Amino acid sequence: MADDKDVLRDVWFGRIPTCFTLYQDEVTEREAEPFYLLLPRVSYLTLVTDKVKKHFLKVMKAEDVEEIWFEYEGTPLKWHYPIGLLFDLHASNTSLPWSITVHFKNFPERDLLHCPCNSVIEAHFMSSIKEADALKHKSQVINDMQKKDHKQLWMGLQNDKFDQFWAINRKLMEYPTEEGGFRYIPFRIYLTMSDRPFIQKLFRPISPDGHTHTLGDLLKEVYPVAIASDDEAKRYQVVIHGIEPLLETPLQWLSEHLSHPDNFLHISVIPAPSD
Amino acid sequence: MSSCVLDEETFCRCCQLFLEHSHSLCDGWSWQLVKGSEEGYLRKVALGNVRIRTSSNPNQITDQYIQGASSDQRQGRTSPFTPHKENDDDHNDEQYYDDDDGAVCCMQDSRSSGVIQYEYHILYSYSYQTPVLYFRASTLEGRSLSLEEVWDGVHPNYRQRLQHGPWDTITQQEHPLLGQSFFVLHPCRTEEFMRPVLQAALEEHRQVNYVVTWLSVVGPVVGLDVPLSYCTKVPAPSHTSPSPLQPPALQTQPD
Repeated sequence: MADDKDVLRDVWFGRIPTCFTLYQDEVTEREAEPFYLLLPRVSYLTLVTDKVKKHFLKVMKAEDVEEIWFEYEGTPLKWHYPIGLLFDLHASNTSLPWSITVHFKNFPERDLLHCPCNSVIEAHFMSSIKEADALKHKSQVINDMQKKDHKQLWMGLQNDKFDQFWAINRKLMEYPTEEGGFRYIPFRIYLTMSDRPFIQKLFRPISPDGHTHTLGDLLKEVYPVAIASDDEAKRYQVVIHGIEPLLETPLQWLSEHLSHPDNFLHISVIPAPSD
Repeated sequence: MSSCVLDEETFCRCCQLFLEHSHSLCDGWSWQLVKGSEEGYLRKVALGNVRIRTSSNPNQITDQYIQGASSDQRQGRTSPFTPHKENDDDHNDEQYYDDDDGAVCCMQDSRSSGVIQYEYHILYSYSYQTPVLYFRASTLEGRSLSLEEVWDGVHPNYRQRLQHGPWDTITQQEHPLLGQSFFVLHPCRTEEFMRPVLQAALEEHRQVNYVVTWLSVVGPVVGLDVPLSYCTKVPAPSHTSPSPLQPPALQTQPD
């Protein structure tokens, strides 16, 4: 049986082979070749695509270039979602590499957040961590940390430094022994078949009578549609980091081991493939 | 400390009472239901005049803020930024406006004056157990205002305080119920400024409508007008009478 710590490394080093193609209507001086890149599941599109941008800028004039944005099969990709979540949500059961289209014009203002520089990504990332700690520890752990610790979390993510990141993040994964777990579990359940982007509610890892809540318990309470009843065929897949954890998995364990670096469990509910 | 936490049910009840007063003032607030759920939020659309920065002239010192006026509101208060069309001179113009509160606004350099549509949403945050203010602004032609333009509309008195820390600020975020881009006043410090108010009320055996008190603090920062009568006329939700999570008075309003 793999050690729990190995799970943390597997999550951190997950990669998605991706092919970036320039949108055909972009104005270029010569033909743009597609660009291939292994994307880290736990990072953010605008943080890891400098090479992609540089590659396409080589064949474009400066006046034809505005803010970069990415799209998959007509859907603008939200850079503020972790890459692995975007893939699980939109391209889970398709063949690799993941084909993403790159745009430099007509930024979809209503749908996408602007990302003018890395400090915007950092602010967003730290904001998620803070929110997660508000749920887990009433913000006590994050507020007790020094500014340099916060910086180390960000630098660890930005520079793909697992040890540097977890040296600080492990404190955010602790809890008083007598409590048995976090106060509430930071999670979001993402739906593809809804206008609503995600569901986020208050949910405790341990019930008042000491019962350990599982992933199945969470779904039953917050999004029962995701779980098929015994006699019907499974309509949905519940995916975290590209895998379908058993519904019996304790939620506290999932939160400690399968959260993203932003300390949230990002759960995708997608239609099950009909083969 | 638990009195500073706002649970969802109390949030809804505060909103219901807030809404009743809004209707009596024709202040334009409505309750929007999320499709397929019992969750909802307060929404208001307002029009305002503001000078949008068109030239990049960093040496010009400006003092301007957004004065939002509800499209339904009839309180005889005019925006200080209604341009004087008769002698509108866009070249090195210096115009002084005096409004009732005594604020003097001086604007220089050429700006285009436009009507801006503001949309304000008040949502409940589970993570922080407080209300959160989401807003967006666009021209009537549908062009969304950028963060810089929104900042231009924040009164200078608030601007410095807001820029103090990355979490005490206005950022662009995804609306958690609609999935679209909005600006948000970060909620993580809400408890800090609400706590003294709530504690004082507790000591004086006064009840407080959390949403009204909270909005009277954060609203003006982003140009949202909250008439004084909200603070004097809207009661706190009663804790003795049971109330359904979705009070029947909260009807969805057509857009």
